[in-house]
Amino acid sequence: MTNWMRDPTAETSAVKRARRVPPKSLEGLTVGLFDIGKTRTPEFLDRVEQRFKERGLKTYRCGKPTNAKVATTENLQKISSEVDVILIGLSD
Amino acid sequence: MAERLEAKHKGGTLVSRKIEYSDTSDPMEVCYQRGWTDGLPVTPPTDERVLEMLKGTRRRADEVVGKIPPYLGTCTVEKVAINAVLAGCKPEYMPVLLAALEAALEPVFTLHGVLATTYFSSPIIIVNGPIARAIGMNSGLNVLGQGNRANATIGRALNLIVQNVGGGRPGEADRSTLGAPSKYTLCFAEDESDPEWEPLSVARGFPRGVSTVTLFQGHGPEAIVDQKTRTAEGLTRSIASSLVKMGHPKLVQSARAVLVLTPEHYAIYKESGWDRKKIERALYEATIRPGREILAGADGVGEGVPASRAEEMVPKFHDDGLMVVRAGGPAGLFSAVLPGWLAGRNKLELQPVTKEIKT
Amino acid sequence: MNFDSRGIPGISVVTTGFTDAVATQSKALGFEPAVLFVPHPIQNRTPEELDKIADDIVEPALKLLTAVK
Repeated sequence: MTNWMRDPTAETSAVKRARRVPPKSLEGLTVGLFDIGKTRTPEFLDRVEQRFKERGLKTYRCGKPTNAKVATTENLQKISSEVDVILIGLSD
Repeated sequence: MAERLEAKHKGGTLVSRKIEYSDTSDPMEVCYQRGWTDGLPVTPPTDERVLEMLKGTRRRADEVVGKIPPYLGTCTVEKVAINAVLAGCKPEYMPVLLAALEAALEPVFTLHGVLATTYFSSPIIIVNGPIARAIGMNSGLNVLGQGNRANATIGRALNLIVQNVGGGRPGEADRSTLGAPSKYTLCFAEDESDPEWEPLSVARGFPRGVSTVTLFQGHGPEAIVDQKTRTAEGLTRSIASSLVKMGHPKLVQSARAVLVLTPEHYAIYKESGWDRKKIERALYEATIRPGREILAGADGVGEGVPASRAEEMVPKFHDDGLMVVRAGGPAGLFSAVLPGWLAGRNKLELQPVTKEIKT
Repeated sequence: MNFDSRGIPGISVVTTGFTDAVATQSKALGFEPAVLFVPHPIQNRTPEELDKIADDIVEPALKLLTAVK
């Protein structure tokens, strides 16, 4: 069933909000690598992390214990305080 | 049920974009995510609610009311209704809200500046006339505080329109250093229970019995205490000594003010037969001070008037800069000032605006 | 899982064959997530194949993680 509300704005922006503007450069920033618990994700992120590190980026591994459960607020807050941008994978 | 069917049928007459959400989403959270709130929760604007709100006005939903600063978004009556739903208004508030919005859009009100300023100000709405009682507005106990739906939601709806239709948001176009709780909402009715008192609407040129909104750029309230003085003359000097402190004691002719005169203070004036004109004139004159007492630089304090004004008698306000409004509960020997926006150096360029409320 | 609302720009890496669900999710979230697609399936890839898939998204990921268009 589709539900809707009426837009109270002047409708000059997209229906979807643009995502938060990313930084111009990752220099000095920490890239989070979030494992959402799907099979083979740890190896995948290991490789991505290695490549990021080769480029001199700072990384931070994080995730939730199983794919079935949602991330806890506490967990999300901690991660948000440690990283500047984040890559979330793998959705399968 | 009938409403829902009518919504489905008439939903075609609403033209605002539909923002869809799934059954598992909480519409109140969606409103937050979309940035439609002022920080407090809003009522999700479903078709049924918007159509119900539009019943509060005879005006057509597609009528353009104006372009809302800062980004000049086009605001139709439908958009007003959607924001009125967000705010929690009842349909019968629509005429007041529409009149308030039109008043705020008058060039001399300078709505863009009020929104963008670093100062505390926002549009304050003062309602006069029969509509105030008809829609259940508060002019008495706790009038400037919480608790009354009409007071709370009409002011809120106007601010949400500026935010949502105009795009004016704190941290973006809204550069207010500190803001104020009055930026959520400050809207109230004048106490017109005394037939001998000239209401603000009449003072501003409208016939008695006509309902009006007066829009004032300001914040507040700040307390004006006097629990001792018993004469009209003494009370005038007492209130004036508080009024001159507004903003900074040595800052003059740069902001207007609304004095909210409470019943116990008003009683002192009434006993001496002072009417509105006499009170306003006396207060204005009582805030005039010798320039040499308020020179800039004295005691290392930078604010003040230049030395060239030392021999002048300098008023705190422009001659039309102080408006008195009666309101408040029956007990309490305190009145209040609503300080105006600090951009009021040119009295012609920045003014309050009064408009008739048409139902 | 919304890092966007916590001030953290993010990108998602998603296996293809899942496009519809991402569209639905972004509708619910109300913003356009930055999404990179990798080939499906993932579970049965050899380590070498997985490495290649990871290598291939590094540059696109860095582009999406910064404002460089």
